[in-house]
Amino acid sequence: MNRAIAHKLAGLAFGAGFGFVLGAARLHEYDTIHDMLLLREPDVFLLMGGAIGVSLPLLWLLERAGATTLLGGRLALSRSRAQRHHVVGGITFGVGWAVVGTCPAPALVMLASGAGLGAVAVAGLFVGLRLRDVQTSRRAVAPTVGDGEHHEVPALAH
Amino acid sequence: MYAALLPDRLPWWIAGPALGLLVTGFFLVANQPLGATGAYVETANTVLRRPGAVTWRARYFVGIALGGFIAASLTDTGFAPRAGYDTLTAEWPLGVVAVVVFVGAIVMGFGARMAGGCTSGHGICGTAQRSPASWAAMMSFMASAVATTWIVHLLTGGSV
Repeated sequence: MNRAIAHKLAGLAFGAGFGFVLGAARLHEYDTIHDMLLLREPDVFLLMGGAIGVSLPLLWLLERAGATTLLGGRLALSRSRAQRHHVVGGITFGVGWAVVGTCPAPALVMLASGAGLGAVAVAGLFVGLRLRDVQTSRRAVAPTVGDGEHHEVPALAH
Repeated sequence: MYAALLPDRLPWWIAGPALGLLVTGFFLVANQPLGATGAYVETANTVLRRPGAVTWRARYFVGIALGGFIAASLTDTGFAPRAGYDTLTAEWPLGVVAVVVFVGAIVMGFGARMAGGCTSGHGICGTAQRSPASWAAMMSFMASAVATTWIVHLLTGGSV
C-alpha cells in the first residue's frame, strides 16, 4: 500500500478510536468537565492519570529498546525545555477551557453527538488558533511546535 | 429500539488505560502524538489548500468526529440533535451562551497555539513523552482552569 494512504488510514482509525473513548467516557459533556474543574469528582483527573500511567512507561521502554514504527521510522519522542510561552499559553488555554467546558477534541465529539453549540465551540477554536498564527507571523517568529504537536515527517507531509 | 451497547459512561479505569494504549499505538504506527490542536491547524490548512498542509491530519480530524458519533449512537441517549450546554442555557438565553462559548473557544484556541498543544497534546501525549515543556503547560492550564471555574462559580453565586 502507498505509504501516504496508509498514513491517512492510520490517522482516520486512531482519530476514531480517540473520539470513541472521549465520547464513551462522556468527556464531551459540559457537566463532566465542569464537575472536574469544580473538583466535585476526580474521574477525569484519574482518567488522564490512567492514560499517562499506561503510555509513559510503555513509551519509555519502547524508546530504550530503539523500537521502529510501522510508518514513521525509528520511534522519536520529543522533549523540550519548558519556556515562557508554554506557561503563558497554558494559562490562557485553561481560562478558555474552564469557560467553554470542553477542549479541542471533545468539542468535536460534542458536535458529532448532535449538540449545535459544539459547532460554535469548534468555530471559535479555528478562529483562536488562526489569531495566534497571524500574531506570530506579524512578529516574524516561527509558530511554536510543542511536544503535543510533534514535528511532521517531511516525506509524509502531503 | 435497540439496547444500548455502551454503559451510560465508561468508567475512568477503562477509558484512561484505553486512551494510554491508543497514544502508545499511534506512536508505534505513525510516530505521532494523539493531539488535537495540530489536527485543527492542519485541517484548516488542508481545506484552504495552503502549501505544506499535512493532509493526513485532516483525516484524523474527521476520525475524531466519526468515533464520537459512533460512541454517542451506542449509548442510551443516542445521537440527538440539540443545543447542548443544558446547565448554561438553564441560566442564560441561548444567544448569550453561544457568545460565551464562541469567545471562550477563541481564548482556548489562541492559548493552545501559543503553548503548542492542548489537553491531549501536552496533557497526555507530551507528559507521556516525559517532556518538561508539556508538564509545565499541563500544570499551568490545570491551575488556571480550576481557578477560573471557581471564580465564575463564586461570581454567579454558585449557579454556574
